Amino acid sequence: MPSNSDSSSSSSSSTSSGEYQTPKRNSTSIDQSLDAIENQLASISMFQPDSLLESEPEPEPVPELEVSKEELVNGSVNVIEELPAKNEEGESLKASSSRVWTNASEEVEEMEAPPSPSSSGYDGGRGSSATSGIEDANDDDNDGEIVEVRSHGDSVGASDSQAPWTPGKRHGDEDDASISWRKRKKHFFILSHSGKPIYSRYGDEHKLAGFSATLQAIISFVENGGDRVKLVKAGKHQVVFLVKGPIYLVCISCTEEPYESLKCQLELLYGQMILILTKSVNRCFEKNPKFDMTPLLGGTDVVFSSLIHSFSWNPATFLHAYTCLPLAYPTRQAAGAILQDVADSGVLFAILMCRHKVISLVGAQKAALHPDDMLLLSNFVVSSESFRTSESFSPICLPRYNPMAFLYAYVHYFDLDTYLILLTTSSDAFYHLKDCRIRIENVLLKSNVLAEVQKSLLDGGMHVEDLSIESGSRSGSVSPHSSQSGLATESAERLRDTFSGVGGPAGLWHFIYRSIYLDQYVTSEFSSPINSLRQQKRLYRAYQKVYTSMHEKGIGPHKTQFRRDENYVLLCWVTQDFELYAAFDPLADKALAIKVCNRVCQWVKDVENEIFLLGASPFSWRLLSL
Amino acid sequence: MASRRRMLLKVIILGDSGVGKTSLMNQYVNRKFSNQYKATIGADFLTKEVQFEDRLYTLQIWDTAGQERFQSLGVAFYRGADCCVLVYDVNVMKSFENLNNWREEFLLQASPSDPENFPFIVLGNKVDIDGGNSRVISEKKAKAWCASKGNIPYFETSAKEGFNVEAAFQCIARNALKNEPEEELYLPDTIDVSGGQQQRSTGCEC
Repeated sequence: MPSNSDSSSSSSSSTSSGEYQTPKRNSTSIDQSLDAIENQLASISMFQPDSLLESEPEPEPVPELEVSKEELVNGSVNVIEELPAKNEEGESLKASSSRVWTNASEEVEEMEAPPSPSSSGYDGGRGSSATSGIEDANDDDNDGEIVEVRSHGDSVGASDSQAPWTPGKRHGDEDDASISWRKRKKHFFILSHSGKPIYSRYGDEHKLAGFSATLQAIISFVENGGDRVKLVKAGKHQVVFLVKGPIYLVCISCTEEPYESLKCQLELLYGQMILILTKSVNRCFEKNPKFDMTPLLGGTDVVFSSLIHSFSWNPATFLHAYTCLPLAYPTRQAAGAILQDVADSGVLFAILMCRHKVISLVGAQKAALHPDDMLLLSNFVVSSESFRTSESFSPICLPRYNPMAFLYAYVHYFDLDTYLILLTTSSDAFYHLKDCRIRIENVLLKSNVLAEVQKSLLDGGMHVEDLSIESGSRSGSVSPHSSQSGLATESAERLRDTFSGVGGPAGLWHFIYRSIYLDQYVTSEFSSPINSLRQQKRLYRAYQKVYTSMHEKGIGPHKTQFRRDENYVLLCWVTQDFELYAAFDPLADKALAIKVCNRVCQWVKDVENEIFLLGASPFSWRLLSL
Repeated sequence: MASRRRMLLKVIILGDSGVGKTSLMNQYVNRKFSNQYKATIGADFLTKEVQFEDRLYTLQIWDTAGQERFQSLGVAFYRGADCCVLVYDVNVMKSFENLNNWREEFLLQASPSDPENFPFIVLGNKVDIDGGNSRVISEKKAKAWCASKGNIPYFETSAKEGFNVEAAFQCIARNALKNEPEEELYLPDTIDVSGGQQQRSTGCEC
């Protein structure tokens, strides 16, 4: 395959995205060949017309995990080094939507009203004090924090950011007249097509009725013109709209996340609502446009806010994949066997989970569970306190499986972290499912699965410090207690000496590996220097952004990207089989980083039967969902 | 529990430009009045919490612009309204004659399920002007029109003096509630994997 067309497709695409247009600077890398390619890419990326983007996604290279450095380099390294760059994404979107905004603000401008229960004007003149605060905003701020509280230094804010997340609605006393409300960095709203508020992340829905009406007016006004408003940019704020029949969803954010990410978060929020109510709510609105949904959603605030919180810590929300708790292969096999046994007796899905990680899952024949459904289901279960106190039976809907109808979920917690979900189509199956659960529990206890799960929770998964850079020596297994390689401890210790306190070899700080066929991903454990929740969130946002750029509609997915900014070096590598996202020290050496990425892939392969659920029924949803 | 929940009522205020829609709303919500006329552009939104028979309601008030150029906003704005307030100026004949147009336009655009019984309310505003000497519509005439349209409640108001404004909005809330439909059980289907017809669930309202 011609390396040129390959590299041009990836590089020029990043230019057209506008996101990573960068003042190029000369690399100081010692690897001359890389520099040569980089320079070549620089010129290509400057002048490549869009038409070339159509150049075919070549079949090749290597879903072989053993990619030699040369292959990777010649194949398609897209090197982007940037200084802290100005963000100019979505120029075209901005242009088209600002037209909408102009119109809307002409027509829907509010009168000069006293500040109190009146509404709208989120970004209006009256909010000037608020907006000026937001001008300083950085995107690594803590969710619940007001902008001005944040601090620049990573360590300074650590105590704040380590505070545990409090479930449920916070700041419920606020409304759109509150300065604190206006300074929140990320708002989510759900409203009906008549402008009645259904959910707001911050503040009291009823007090926000006027604001909600304003949102509806904007959406409906544009719709009236036979158009659809998707995004409004106002200074640092993005207002993202999603219309789902009679349900309107809006996100207002100054976090600098890409439009695609925010839209995808709104889709998940909608999915969460469907999971609780099914799409049959649409019928209620057809019968009665005044329909007020809030009573149907009573008590589910916490489910939505927990989902929104997970947008900043759970990569499943943008990877559309699930992750497994690391376990020794026989342990997971034992759990899978008893679940399969139960599934054969009329259970649609049997899922054993620990927090947000899967221990094992089994579907009845031909039934496939979409990773997004798993995310929404586990969020629903984990965030609802009442599931913890007793075994429960609840109607739920899996939006990707069948958005129109309910299934019934039997939920039982074996301990604080580990829970079982059995899904059935029969509303009177409670006692049968209870019997199933008792059978499962007996087997899990006998085969020591629950204890192994707790052990795995303590030990964690893959630590970048354990990665050996010597290509000859095998990296260790994930969990020390099931260690298969004597070399692991030795090399790990040696590396820890060399890189103590600064992550893994070559400045590797963290990685995410997503297996495309398995619909599963694995991340390394966070370690120094990504210690605080704030830093972790910032890293996830960086991943999310780079994920979006790799998967741009029309021109993606791209193959590789090497990106250096003031915070990290991010190296992405997408093949037919997997996607790897790795974060390094911003001063990391390029050639070494590439080498380390190859080692990570090898490492993942070495331990795949501990970190992945293998042999689960293949997921047939991918084509539908894209 | 369900009967104790807060309710949100969407109230649309319609009428010719300059009859005092915004002033009425401002008097009601903020207890303020300004003699200065500022045309509303598109629509304004205000909220007010009211207590009525031991229950809390939030009125979401849509104050629309009276000028004809804004009529295209209709469908979008009227959808899902719980009550419609028609306002005219007792000193301006045209504004009274147009009430019928406003009412029909609303029914056409909002297409409520039961148009005959949709809760309207009519307010004759600016009764304070010139001590009532300049008025051209008598209370009797206005009431007759209201009676002919299915006994629409009628109030004479002065946004300037706050006269009857509170009472009028009380009535608005009461009427909106009367129209509240019966609560129905929420019964989505249950998935039937056997391939037969969909069964009704046993009706768990979550």
